[in-house]
Amino acid sequence: MAKNVVVLMVQFKSIILYCVKQLNSERTIYSIYHLLNGKKSSQTIQDAHLFTLKRFFGILEPLTRESFDQMIRMLQAQDVIYCSGEQHFRLTPSGELFLKEHPPLNELNGWEYHQITSQFWRRLSLFIQVVSNLEYQETSYIPIQKGEDIHQWLKAVLKEIKVSKKEIGSMTYAELIKCFEEKRDMNPSALVFRLTGYQQIGLTPFQAAQKLSMGWFDYQLEFINVIHYMIRKIGEGYERFPLLSHLHKGLIQQHGLTQSSRKTWQLLTQGHSLETIAQIRQLKISTIEDHLVEIALNRNDFSIDAYVAEPLQEEILQISRRMASRQLKLIKDQVKQASYFQIRLVLARNGG
Amino acid sequence: MELEALLKKYFGYSSFKTGQKEVISALLAGEHTLAMLPTGTGKSLCYQLPGYIFAGQIIIISPLLSLMQDQVEQMKRFGEKRVVALNSFLSYEEKENVLMYLNRYKFIFISPEMLQVPYILRKLQCLSISLFVVDEAHCISQWGYDFRPDYSKLGEIRHALGQPLTLALTATATSKVRHDIIHSLGLGKVKKVESTIDRPNIGFYVEEIADYREKEKRVLELVAQLQKPGIIYFSSKKGAEYMALLLIEKQICRVSVYHSGLEQDTRILIQQQFIHNQLDVICATSAFGMGVNKENIRFVIHYHMPMRLESYLQEIGRAGRDGKPSIAMLLYSPGDEQLPFQLAEGELPSQQQIDWLFNKLGGANSRGVRLTETLKEHGGFTDIQWRIIEDMFNPLLLETNSLQDLRAAIQKFTEDRLQAKKEHIFRMKQWIETNTCRRKLILQYFEDELTTIVHPCCDKCGLDLKHYHSTKQSLQEETDNGTWTDYLRKLLINSGLSK
Repeated sequence: MAKNVVVLMVQFKSIILYCVKQLNSERTIYSIYHLLNGKKSSQTIQDAHLFTLKRFFGILEPLTRESFDQMIRMLQAQDVIYCSGEQHFRLTPSGELFLKEHPPLNELNGWEYHQITSQFWRRLSLFIQVVSNLEYQETSYIPIQKGEDIHQWLKAVLKEIKVSKKEIGSMTYAELIKCFEEKRDMNPSALVFRLTGYQQIGLTPFQAAQKLSMGWFDYQLEFINVIHYMIRKIGEGYERFPLLSHLHKGLIQQHGLTQSSRKTWQLLTQGHSLETIAQIRQLKISTIEDHLVEIALNRNDFSIDAYVAEPLQEEILQISRRMASRQLKLIKDQVKQASYFQIRLVLARNGG
Repeated sequence: MELEALLKKYFGYSSFKTGQKEVISALLAGEHTLAMLPTGTGKSLCYQLPGYIFAGQIIIISPLLSLMQDQVEQMKRFGEKRVVALNSFLSYEEKENVLMYLNRYKFIFISPEMLQVPYILRKLQCLSISLFVVDEAHCISQWGYDFRPDYSKLGEIRHALGQPLTLALTATATSKVRHDIIHSLGLGKVKKVESTIDRPNIGFYVEEIADYREKEKRVLELVAQLQKPGIIYFSSKKGAEYMALLLIEKQICRVSVYHSGLEQDTRILIQQQFIHNQLDVICATSAFGMGVNKENIRFVIHYHMPMRLESYLQEIGRAGRDGKPSIAMLLYSPGDEQLPFQLAEGELPSQQQIDWLFNKLGGANSRGVRLTETLKEHGGFTDIQWRIIEDMFNPLLLETNSLQDLRAAIQKFTEDRLQAKKEHIFRMKQWIETNTCRRKLILQYFEDELTTIVHPCCDKCGLDLKHYHSTKQSLQEETDNGTWTDYLRKLLINSGLSK
């Protein structure tokens, strides 16, 4: 791996050179490191806007300081950047030339997408695995993505999809091909070989980088480039991607959540429990419960099953319908084992 | 219905594996049972099948969360939906939900620490428990392979649950450990089912190699020669990483590394690739293997010396579950025992750390003393070391107010544990250096006897490694999946289906 590091580092190099150029020696080199890492400091966020580097925000979260330093030393040794003051750099003419010949990947959109990138991948990889196994009529396999949340999401999507099981494989295939075909200058291999399906397990990032003879960071960037492209493309036209659009729905927050509920929702999707969220945010549990009710009202991709067992949901609904009432107290009197919180969740989910 | 018919109906097998039927019959006759069955012989069937006969719930206590998840997933895949795992993976709400409808589940897996929660115990007391299963029961004993303090309280729990019919399961336990299990659970009269731990289709081969350089070379050679798939075990993540890279570079076969430092997604993929024969060799730490059901593993090589015979037996037991000839190799270089000694010491808090901690805690009285994260950090305790301190500390606080006593107790405990670990390493080394039959010796250690003549047996009995060489000349099966479009098409379009 190590010996080809120079040859294999094109995308990473290009992005750093681009950033150096944009910064124009007005910031230290480490502002690039913080940018790629997606550091949420006002300085980094301001810089991203000021120097129009937003699209690279948070696209290389696994980058360590050591690797970054090593990269900078290497670029210096290659004579594409030079030191213009302590921790400040500029491009050399050969750096300018390299950048001209190798412009940065053009689909990266870190600012908009860095928070949803991994969630989109989790959805896509699980969706493809399930569809592939449906296509081959296999019912027994290990889901490649763990977590009750995402399994619930998938179940909900499958219920919603009105395509017969016989068609779903080839339709998914057609949509993916259509999606990728409209971007001829991008090679989707970085993503496709990572997919798992019927009796075919996808590659790990390390294996994929090897297969494609890419350096580690170049591979990461190519992968994220493909994901960001898909998010953009699918988001632009749900009607053109009836199946893939499900991967996109609810990912981007344009819902009427309050700032505070949005924070709670973020923590929730990271797998924190109600209690830990209350602890982290230093709020009362009842406040967090309020948020959850708000989320249940606004987001279809939020499953309340983890908080209210399905049979209990049924019961609450039936009683609410029978009594034609949404008054909590009345319902609570009939369903003693349900908490107020649970009743509110069920009502919120079913039309508020 | 006959047992065989039930077996066919629920599991699709037509015959039992060794020991299974004896265990199940004993349980059906209402006898507490201690079953010592070798790894890979379907221990879980011993409680699943009775589950379809008994009216009440089956409680299964399992020490490893990952193992528990695997078992639950597997049962679900075989169509059993009334199964649940109660452990710290569940969020508060999920746990509440499960507990509210606990009686709807037939098989309830639970971790020992959950059983310590009075509220949960009360919920369990409301059930009618038909069978109380203790998996990996050797964890009960201080002499066991993997002693867990929570496990030693299972006797009380069992009592609190009204002394239900009990099944204790283990793969490897010496008679001392077996005695501890029965005593600690308060079982009284027990039916013991001890199938031999011998796996006649696995040959033993220990090779002494001059130094590490030579060992590396030898591994490359062996991996090229031996029939695959196989696992190479290392005691360090670094060692496993390094060898995997070396094998990849030399393009000897399709290989990957596996250890607990990898991301979960990656670990799942590698495990699955190996199961689906997309990988020939895994370079792994002991983190690999639990819950990996792969029948055709042809070799297990130990690059480093294992810490004890029990873990060694468990790891080589992953080979040859299909009954076909397989080889367990151990590569030994003089001085190799240093690494296990270091590891053993590292697993326990050191004398200096204990001294430091109690100086920090100060005073003679334990009132108001608390173990904090800061103490853990400043004292340089690893997670494992800290868990030992915590496990000792809190229960002892109830018994004594004197920090001096506490300190003495913790010191005594760690000294005893270290001594026991050293003895195990010593036994392991004796086994490596023996001049007699390795199979006989290892069976002797577990008070088991060799009843049949095994051939090929071990290097001391003249086993020839050529027997395990690959007959295929070809290097590696090409895993070229064509272009990305080919790959996608294969995933999503079943060309074998006429539409």
